[in-house]
Amino acid sequence: MSVSFRAQESKNKKKTVMLLFFMFIIVVAAIWAVAQLTGNGSFWVVPIAVGIALIGVWGSYWSSDKLVLKMTGAHVISHSDAPLLFNVVDEVRIAAGLPMPTVAIVDDPAPNAFATGRNPEHAVIAFTTGLLEVMDREELQGVTAHEMAHVGNRDTLVMAVAATTAGLVAIIADIGLRMTLFTRRDNNNPILLIVSLVVLLLAPIAALMLRSSVSRKRESLADATAVAFTRNPTGLRRALETLDANSAVVHSRSTAVSHVWIESPLDGKTKSMFDTHPPLSERIAILRTMEQSGPPPQ
Amino acid sequence: MVLAIIAVVIVAVLLIAVWQFNRLRRFMVNVDEGYAQIEVQLTRRADLIPNLVETVKGYAKHESAVLEAVTNARAAVKDADTVSQTAAADGALTSAIGGVMIVAENYPDLKASSNFLQLQEELTTTENKVAFARQYYNESVRALNTALVTVPSMFFAGLAKATKREFYEVPDEGHRLTPDVGFS
Repeated sequence: MSVSFRAQESKNKKKTVMLLFFMFIIVVAAIWAVAQLTGNGSFWVVPIAVGIALIGVWGSYWSSDKLVLKMTGAHVISHSDAPLLFNVVDEVRIAAGLPMPTVAIVDDPAPNAFATGRNPEHAVIAFTTGLLEVMDREELQGVTAHEMAHVGNRDTLVMAVAATTAGLVAIIADIGLRMTLFTRRDNNNPILLIVSLVVLLLAPIAALMLRSSVSRKRESLADATAVAFTRNPTGLRRALETLDANSAVVHSRSTAVSHVWIESPLDGKTKSMFDTHPPLSERIAILRTMEQSGPPPQ
Repeated sequence: MVLAIIAVVIVAVLLIAVWQFNRLRRFMVNVDEGYAQIEVQLTRRADLIPNLVETVKGYAKHESAVLEAVTNARAAVKDADTVSQTAAADGALTSAIGGVMIVAENYPDLKASSNFLQLQEELTTTENKVAFARQYYNESVRALNTALVTVPSMFFAGLAKATKREFYEVPDEGHRLTPDVGFS
């Protein structure tokens, strides 16, 4: 079985669309549950929840480049600071046909890297000092291609949509549950009531799981797109193996930015529905099958 | 009723025409941008050659043959006009630079000099950039050429003044056998 990067790419894209669709279903279910519990008179909850979710996440999406740089303590560099790193980024962005991103370095001994920015014109790619120490040119190119793939695939946008809806569901469920306590109901169907309560209790958890699932799919997609850029699965595979062998974890263990790193700083060694990244071993295995499927056409 | 149907059909055809026209134009822009990027990188590489020749001369005076070869190859790239000529000259220059690097192996002082190390990194990255620019250009050409022979875009080729483009192929695959510049 040969796994080409093109097949991987379209498979991952379809799955993302499916997941975002499920997300939409959950939002509708939560709104329905609120309507059942509180009666249509209190339906004003929904627009307020939408407003809160939109303002919060879209604000951070819009200024993601500056925000994430601040939160991770990354500092922007130019060609003379690190010629090799700068050159590698320039090479990969030519392969991707994208504008040159801002390159930044995070002072952290744990090897890791991330990309952010609301569009390719505002993209930032950051590397930790630990990553620059342990990786050779080929590995660095693989990591850069993975990050550039996030930029090209607009993953900041996709993740902002996923986070917005997950946040929206949480707010609707929260307000809806609180309001149930204060609302008088006449002749309500008890079964419907229980179903609505269960929906409101489970919806935020389901939304969070879906958000993580979208994130995992985008990571796999970025790996496939990275190979489409460099035509060299070996570089990224070796880089992931280096990360796997290195147990150090980035110090800024903030949940808010965990999904942006190439290797998750939060996910444990065991597989969980809430992981933002697929297990490294799985990603390495997929890249290996790409290597075996022979050199891709020029 | 009939009028409404005719109006809908006309609007639909117009929308498809605009969409396909823009798609073809975008492909053409991509091809042009891709080629411009190749030229930028080739120029950059040509600009590195005199510096390389000077640096190597300082340590290895008697290696004039390889240095002359690389200087000639550089001139050939500058003289090339068409896509295929440029591609051929580009391949020749790559192998000429490879020749200089092999010679450099025999001169430890040269290899250790900071000027040479810096040049080596710049040559490596430019080499990779040329390869990636070529890859991007060829992908863009493939997208354009495919659109020109498939339905419905082929019907709008004349309107968009789109014509088939030439792939950028380095004819002599032999240069791939020369050792990689750098990576050490």
